[in-house]
Amino acid sequence: MQHLRRLHFGLVMILIFVLGGVAMAQDGEFVLAERIQEKIASGEPLTIYVSYHDVSNEFAPFIRAGVEQAAEELGVDAQFVGPVGADADAQVAELETLLETADGIAISSVSTDALAPIIDRALEAGVPVVTFNTDNPESNRLAFAGQDLVQSGREAGELMADVLGGEGQVIITTLDAAAQWSIDRETGAREALANYPGIEVVTTVNTGTEPQQIYASIENAMLANPEVDGILSLECCSTPAAGEFVQRNNLLDSVKVVGFDLLPATIELVQSGAVAATIDQAPERQGFEAVNMLVMFLGGEPVSNVDTGVGIYTQENIADVAEASS
Amino acid sequence: MANLGVADTPRTTSGGQGRIRRALSAREAGVFVALILMCAFLAVSTDAFLSSRNLLNVGRQISLLGIMAVGMTFVLIAAEVDLSVGSTYALSGLMTGILIVQQWALLPAILVGLALGGLVGFLNGVLSTYGKLPSFITTLGMMSIVRGVALLITNGEPVTVNASSGANGDTLSQFFWIGQGSLFGQIPMQLVFFIVIAFLGWIVLSFTTFGFRVYAVGGGLKAARVSGIKVFSVKIWAFIIMGVLSGLAGILSLAFLPSGQAGRTGVGLELDVIAATIVGGASLSGGEGTMLGTILGVLIIGVLRNGLILLGISPFWQTTIIGLVIIVAVAIDKWTTSRRAG
Repeated sequence: MQHLRRLHFGLVMILIFVLGGVAMAQDGEFVLAERIQEKIASGEPLTIYVSYHDVSNEFAPFIRAGVEQAAEELGVDAQFVGPVGADADAQVAELETLLETADGIAISSVSTDALAPIIDRALEAGVPVVTFNTDNPESNRLAFAGQDLVQSGREAGELMADVLGGEGQVIITTLDAAAQWSIDRETGAREALANYPGIEVVTTVNTGTEPQQIYASIENAMLANPEVDGILSLECCSTPAAGEFVQRNNLLDSVKVVGFDLLPATIELVQSGAVAATIDQAPERQGFEAVNMLVMFLGGEPVSNVDTGVGIYTQENIADVAEASS
Repeated sequence: MANLGVADTPRTTSGGQGRIRRALSAREAGVFVALILMCAFLAVSTDAFLSSRNLLNVGRQISLLGIMAVGMTFVLIAAEVDLSVGSTYALSGLMTGILIVQQWALLPAILVGLALGGLVGFLNGVLSTYGKLPSFITTLGMMSIVRGVALLITNGEPVTVNASSGANGDTLSQFFWIGQGSLFGQIPMQLVFFIVIAFLGWIVLSFTTFGFRVYAVGGGLKAARVSGIKVFSVKIWAFIIMGVLSGLAGILSLAFLPSGQAGRTGVGLELDVIAATIVGGASLSGGEGTMLGTILGVLIIGVLRNGLILLGISPFWQTTIIGLVIIVAVAIDKWTTSRRAG
């Protein structure tokens, strides 16, 4: 026993040394809380909280699936938490409560400004924090797993330019024009489209999040701008609405839709051609990597950003996911 | 139920209520003039507004709001309020969707959805009367409970009703017809539902004993009780009507856009519904409001939203302007009413 204990002690010391080194490299001051060091030393399962910015949205089930898979494979207690509805105050309050028991936290921020202080507070308290899905560049988070949002916006812009043959008028639709993820993707999309002198971005339509309102906003915007040739949606949920609009008004030849994600309705609209292309962001992988990065970090390995990539689906390859989902 | 004499006589014989009635018709005239002015302005400033396609769009876009506002008129006149309508809209619609995906026939699936709405209304009503809780609190709690139940039964995943989801083909085409179809190839079915329900609501509120009792209960609880009206039962029925109509709107919504999601469907709708009803002249303190006023209120909100987009006004301004219209509409009414009274 005595011998074992000494061995453990030695391991912990090595661990602390390694962790310290990693933390220094990231930030210059992160030191793992003693309570967590002891927990690692004793071999108890780690408690990891994955706080998603809205557990009631379309993506939450996919991310949760990734988190659960990671928990099982990596043998940790990973819990999927977060506010119902994108509510920054609620997310901060929940994290404040969980801070005492967390051995690691992964955060997708409702709002960069609102969440940065709590992330930094957790780090100061010695709890490692990574970000996933939506990064928080204002904080000192250790690493980020997710899509480079500006880059995915650029890809969407390129796809749009491609399906339009470099000519035409485009409207951009988004659930929330003021949200950080939306601003990032819009920046990327506009940047890419600006390379094509034949393409003009007419306006950005802020559709709101309620399904009927999303559809009505697209309907009204198309009536106000009848010359539009392309609708570029920046997210999951105005993509199928734009596709439905095009399909119902028999505009398949004259209006092209490029959007994001693989909701069941979107898959069907890509198959029918009403959505020309959609970009997937592999939400399960984001959930998995969020947990994995923390486990690696707590195990003393260095962590760096993980790009979960951009998957492009058109009528040609959509059958792959359509089969998998049904 | 239809009883013209009973409904009309007491209201015109009591002096106080006669005055209320005059004020109401003045209010409706004011809202009507405002609506005409808005339409005239939009007709001049944008070509798209008066196109038949746009007018039918507006008609469709206001229908679900309108159906719920009919119910809210009963609740507000009965001096109560219902904040749970957006959640009920989501729960009923998604439930019906789930049943259709599980190959239920259309009618039973819709009836279950409507019954769920009625049940929520019934609970709201009982808690707000026998339970002695203010309806603001009851329905605030219910808003959250019902939203939670909708998330639980769907596990937060979107409910998509289409051929590949496993629904029966015939059921599907019937379901889509009530949401996406049109009468005479022109009038969207949603608008047809709104017109029928608004008409029925008007009949019930203005020409039946029940309608009279709703006014009586909202106008003065003690007087209504003394005159033998079962106050609690009237209020509970007002909530049930509201719940069923919220459910209907939610079902029609899913029939129009065959994909709903418990975290987003109908979120914030309660405020639109209450705003439209209040712009139309209903009062939060009860006893006031008419079906015609509510319809005008719904039209104002609908035309405003459509017009602001056609004019290309920034979405942030749209939000601001709609808020201003609500305050101005009620303020004009209050100021002119107090002047008339004084």
